[in-house]
Amino acid sequence: MKVTLVSRSGREFIKGGLELNDSATVADLQEAIHKRTKKFYPSRQRLTLPVPSGSRERPVILNYKKSLKDYCDGNENTLTIVFKDLGPQVSYRTLFFFEYLGPLILYPVFYYFPVYKYFGYEEKRVIHPVQTYALYYWCFHYFKRIMETFFIHRFSHATSPLSNVFRNCAYYWTFGSYIAYYVNHPLYTPVSDLQMKIGFGFGIVCQLANFYCHIILKNLRSPDGSGGYQIPRGFLFNIVTCANYTTEIYQWLGFNIATQTVAGYVFLVVATSIMTNWALAKHRRLKKVFFFYLSNY
Amino acid sequence: MASALTVLRRLYLSIYNWLVFIGWFQVLFLALKALKESGHEHVYNAVEKPLLLAQSAAVMEILHGLIGLVRSPVSSTLPQIGSRLYLTWGILWSFPEIRTHILVTSLVISWAITEIIRYSFFGMKEAFGFAPSWHLWLSTFLVLYPTGISSEVGLIYFALPYIKASEKYCFRMPNKWNFSFDYFYAAILALGIYVPGSPHLYHYMLGQRKRALSKSKKE
Repeated sequence: MKVTLVSRSGREFIKGGLELNDSATVADLQEAIHKRTKKFYPSRQRLTLPVPSGSRERPVILNYKKSLKDYCDGNENTLTIVFKDLGPQVSYRTLFFFEYLGPLILYPVFYYFPVYKYFGYEEKRVIHPVQTYALYYWCFHYFKRIMETFFIHRFSHATSPLSNVFRNCAYYWTFGSYIAYYVNHPLYTPVSDLQMKIGFGFGIVCQLANFYCHIILKNLRSPDGSGGYQIPRGFLFNIVTCANYTTEIYQWLGFNIATQTVAGYVFLVVATSIMTNWALAKHRRLKKVFFFYLSNY
Repeated sequence: MASALTVLRRLYLSIYNWLVFIGWFQVLFLALKALKESGHEHVYNAVEKPLLLAQSAAVMEILHGLIGLVRSPVSSTLPQIGSRLYLTWGILWSFPEIRTHILVTSLVISWAITEIIRYSFFGMKEAFGFAPSWHLWLSTFLVLYPTGISSEVGLIYFALPYIKASEKYCFRMPNKWNFSFDYFYAAILALGIYVPGSPHLYHYMLGQRKRALSKSKKE
């Protein structure tokens, strides 16, 4: 079958189009494009069906597993596909690893090294127990995240634009340093022992719950990441759609109850609003895909 | 009923825009007068009252956008008004030592001309339904934005020693919320924001201009 590839402006993207087997899949098409263009590896390609001009519908994105025939109109043996370059892509694993590495390394710098000398303070003399526990809690949290990235999470085919690496690292690394600065400050004022214990205790319980949520999510997919969208069930997923985000938010709340800094609470508010947006989108998506989802939830 | 509200809206916006226009006209007039008669060191004192009033009135525009009275998105008016209020109250009003700097003159004149054109344009549109010389405004920003922004950045920079010395608006540790705020570092951060912010804004304005000029060509 002949595939004609156009850019979004209508120009022919590959002169003369591509010739593929009648039984070829979208993945085969992606491979063929990659072979011809060298630069555009499959995860960079965004392939859609052409949308009639003036129509405000969102274009249909080709699924890499489907066969090209599924997208052909009627009995025609030709297909026109719109190509868009998504720019350099990185795998989610790579993205997450660098995001989380920053906080993991930067926080201990404020604890162990005489950083505050450069802010005009004399060398720290007193370290409160809560500051040490906060260090362990924080580093454990980001260590856990990195381990989950490599051993638990099952990522779908998706990648992320390279620019997100800079944006996300800026977010995590800046907030990490901002919080670390205040918790380890020589003039830090600790909360009561009881409040610290409640905070960290609650936080640890939520981290364990969060880990279990990740296990549940992992089991929805096969090891290669296929499985697509599914409704998570059991445990806290019976109460909320994104129980993993819920437990993550409460875990940070626990950290803040124990350490009590404005910086930490600002981070909590920002992180909560981001995760809330994600959760609402996922809930909407699941409702669309599984329209009976609403009847039970 | 709807048309009565429309008339009310237009009346209110006309009055608002023309009032603020008068404010900025005063600023320009008094600035040029002081410059000619006494020199650049005295410009701020001459314009202080109408400047503070006219610039602070712009906060109303955020409200207008929020309640839907005007179409401008809050996301673009907020940073613009934010930076103006920061310079007006956070730098000039707070640190008298900087008021005699020559950049105050270039700042005030750049702002005044821009606002005079902008408010008269909107004032005409709301009052009469049309406004001429849209192209004039779109092209003046090519000069006024760089001069205005350079003046803003320059004034923040030259005010830094006074900010550091005065300790004004600083909140220190220890306190039970483990919070601190240093106005000096905040000013440095503000300067940093101008680095990506200014080209972004200028680029956006260039796009607006191109679009409006091509649209009028088609008419």
